[in-house]
Formats: sequence, structure tokens, C-alpha cells
Amino acid sequence: MSEVTGLLREPWEHFERQRGAGKFGIWVFLASEMLFFGALILTYAVCLIEHMDAFAAAGRETNIWYGTSNTAILLTSSLTMAVASQAAAAGQHLRRLVVACLTLTVALGLAFLVVKGFEYKEDLDKHLWPGAQFALHEPGAQLFYGLYWLITGVHAIHLTIGIALVGRLALLGHLKKLQLDENPEIEVTALYWHLVDIIWIFLYPLIYLPGRVS
Amino acid sequence: MTNQNSASASKRPTTAWRLWRRNGVIWAALLCLLFLSLGLAYVQMGLFTPTVGIVIAFIKASLVILLFMELASSKALIKLAALAGLIFVATLFALTLADVLARVGGQ
Repeated sequence: MSEVTGLLREPWEHFERQRGAGKFGIWVFLASEMLFFGALILTYAVCLIEHMDAFAAAGRETNIWYGTSNTAILLTSSLTMAVASQAAAAGQHLRRLVVACLTLTVALGLAFLVVKGFEYKEDLDKHLWPGAQFALHEPGAQLFYGLYWLITGVHAIHLTIGIALVGRLALLGHLKKLQLDENPEIEVTALYWHLVDIIWIFLYPLIYLPGRVS
Repeated sequence: MTNQNSASASKRPTTAWRLWRRNGVIWAALLCLLFLSLGLAYVQMGLFTPTVGIVIAFIKASLVILLFMELASSKALIKLAALAGLIFVATLFALTLADVLARVGGQ
């Protein structure tokens, strides 16, 4: 346990208690995040029920290739994040694997944002920002895009925070300024990262798949 | 305080290969489900088409929560925290949709 004592923080007397408290804390936070995104998705669902045809027409205008690639990118980032977290938790000096997987996770997160940026550019070129110049005429299509910009924007902010958190761990791990073995910070950060992935898993069928049947 | 690391120490050593294999299978399943939902979105099944997308999303989310986030092997307290979130989200949806769906049917 000598390696682990370096990770012990106030006010805990035992490392396992500290680790358990951290994990419980992040899960309570994730539960509140579920409600936050749940409310947004519920708003989307209510608007969808009331404007079924308009949402199909609006969904058809989204770029399915950007959406599908980004889903695959985020799922892959969850793989690298899970491997990093489990390799660190194993406590068997897998430092290089942990640092490599954390770096890959950051790279995949950035790749997601780059693809999203290209997608936002295309959306703006197609006048899909709600307002006077809006491209679609179906009543309700503006509601779809209002929620599209809001929900994907809030998701992107969450992902940016995740990239900063994982990037910090990768950098400190690379510089050997952070003990990676059994460090609960990695597990907690990984749990947050997976939640951001899960939100996107639900956004994908809601935003990109409606209206593909013609 | 007993040594809580004894459980992991008694197992075979964790190697990079073993970690990639265990998690790679889950990742492959997730990508298969992604392409399945993409393909099925183009199949005419009436109201089932959007439903299938949501159902597949639930399966994907379950895989991530239970296996990548290791909720399946977590302590009861952690499961309770996760379940609390799910129950409140479910309540939010159930009460709101009970109202909205009744109105849409009535008009």
C-alpha cells in the first residue's frame, strides 16, 4: 500500500474510503447530468410528437455522414478511455499504456469537435439557424433546429471539459508528475467521459435518423 | 482494515493485450449496433423506424454503462446512485408523456 499512500488526501484516513467516496460523488453528479440532458431530450420528444412531419423533414437536412462518423469516433474514444482507466486501476505499472490511451482519447475528442465544426459550417451555409433566413418552410422545423443547436452545443461544451480533464491527466502522466497506478482521478474522469458518450448515443437516432425513409 | 487489493492481486496479471481484448469486443458490438441503426433508419416500418433507433440507443448505452463504466461489478451504493438518476428521468418522461400523448390523441 506504500505507493497508494501518496494519493491519500484529507479528510480520509484510508485510501479505499477516499476512492469509494470519489466514485460515489461522480455517480451522483452523473445522475444530475442525466436529468439535465433528460429534460432537453424530453423537450425534443414533446416537440417531435406535435410536429412529426416537420421533424422528419428537418432531420433529413442533417448530414448523416458527419453524424455517423462522430458517433463512431466517440464510441472508439470510450474504448481507449476504458482501457486507460482499467490499466491504471490494475496497478501493475502499465504507465505507457495508460498515457497512450489517454492521449488517444484526447485526440478522438478533438477529432469529434473538428467534424462537428465542419458540420456546423455546412448547417450555417444551408441557412439552418432559426430566424428570418431559415431554409425550411414546414412549421416546426425551426423548433427542431433550435433544439439541435442547443443540445449539440451543450454536448460540445461537456466534451470540451472532458478533453481538458483527460488532457491534463495525459500531460501529467507523460511528464511523470502524476502517479497513474490506482489513481482514482483517472477512474472518475473516465466515468464523466463515458457519460458524454452516452448522451451522444441518444442524440444520434434523435437528430440524424428521422426522415431517412422516403 | 483488510487489504482490499488482495482480490485484484490474486487474479492473473492484467496485460495490455487482455485489456484490449476484453474492451475491444464491447467496442465491436457498439459499432455493429451503430451501423445496424443506420441501416434500419432507411427501412420503411412506419412508427417502428424511429422506435428501433431509440431501442438500439438503449442497448448501446447499457453496454457502455454496465461494462465500460463497470456498473455491473460496482458496489450496491454506486448502483443505487445510478439507479436514482434513471428513476427520476423515467418519472420525468412518464408523467410528461402521459399528458402530451393524451392531448395529441384527443385533438
